[in-house]
Amino acid sequence: MTADEAPETFGLEIPTLRTERLVLRAPRQDDFEVFAAFYAGPRSHFVGGPLTRELAWRMLAMEAGHWQLRGFGRWIVEERASGQAVGLVGLFEPEGWPEPELGWDLFDGHEGKGFATEAAEAGRAFAYDVLGWTTLISLVKPKNEASARVATRLGCRRDGEFVHERHGPMRIFRHPAPDALADGGMEAYA
Amino acid sequence: MTHGLNVTLQGTPVLTTERLMLRAPEPGDWPDWQAMLASERSLYIGGPLAEEGKAWRSFGHLIGHWVMRGFGMFVLCDKVSGRALGMAGPWRPAGWPEPEIGWNLWTDEAEGKGYALEGAVAARDFAFSTLGWRSCVSYIDPANARSIALAKRLGAILDEGAPTPENKPVMVWRHHGAAA
Repeated sequence: MTADEAPETFGLEIPTLRTERLVLRAPRQDDFEVFAAFYAGPRSHFVGGPLTRELAWRMLAMEAGHWQLRGFGRWIVEERASGQAVGLVGLFEPEGWPEPELGWDLFDGHEGKGFATEAAEAGRAFAYDVLGWTTLISLVKPKNEASARVATRLGCRRDGEFVHERHGPMRIFRHPAPDALADGGMEAYA
Repeated sequence: MTHGLNVTLQGTPVLTTERLMLRAPEPGDWPDWQAMLASERSLYIGGPLAEEGKAWRSFGHLIGHWVMRGFGMFVLCDKVSGRALGMAGPWRPAGWPEPEIGWNLWTDEAEGKGYALEGAVAARDFAFSTLGWRSCVSYIDPANARSIALAKRLGAILDEGAPTPENKPVMVWRHHGAAA
């Protein structure tokens, strides 16, 4: 046995969500290559990148640890048809965040298919229906128009700005409250 | 206060020594970890870190290392009081040329009592016997005299030619497992 092979893995009880085209599941070691490739590329500029492989690994491990520390976290999004990891979506609140955030990062080559919106809707439903949250924000960096469009598609409204000490300014988008979604859903905000 | 689910690492090992109980990190360790990283005690492991956000993320990856690799750092707890004193354990993030046995103590009060030695011996035994490692190293800052002394007490040998993480100028102290 080499040190790279775990004798057994110690899973966290992270719930799995399913949508029409996607599965949202726990992060794991075999997601690392695609995760590191995304964080090495220019699209990661909007979400704290670029990161070296070393830092990307620590970040992916942190995503798993986030679940135990907060009781919620982000999922690796897998396309059901291909089994490929296509993104990182879910509920994120590291120390220093203004409040829990719903984030949606798509790995390279998976943009433009509506995956971010589909996965984010599942993550938001989890926050509202399972965790019982009553409000939710998403943070979008300046010039990240693709992400701002997803926020708009999800019915979010602008709600000021947050300036992080390291990541700088971010637009705050606030999601419709659970009862607003229940009252006709996103169409009411379109 | 937002609430979440109860999500915990399942089935991680617990080791015991004469004075210590070694277990995987838990959310309750965060204040001690944060205090250590904010202090001069973190000088040789990348600190001190003034920013709480970075310290929190590093704590998250301590837990996540267990998920990713199936092993990770143990928190060294006083068997009697339960108090967290530091950590020791098998460690292999991406970029590490070889598996490592690492250790650090979290407070000045925990120093000088042999806790790091006791924890490191238990962690190394675990790596050799349970994980099946044949060899491993400890990466140590050349200015970290206390850790160098501990590596020597553990019987580790300085390996001058061995590669280092990201080619950083750290010493490589090599541990050899008992021949199986």
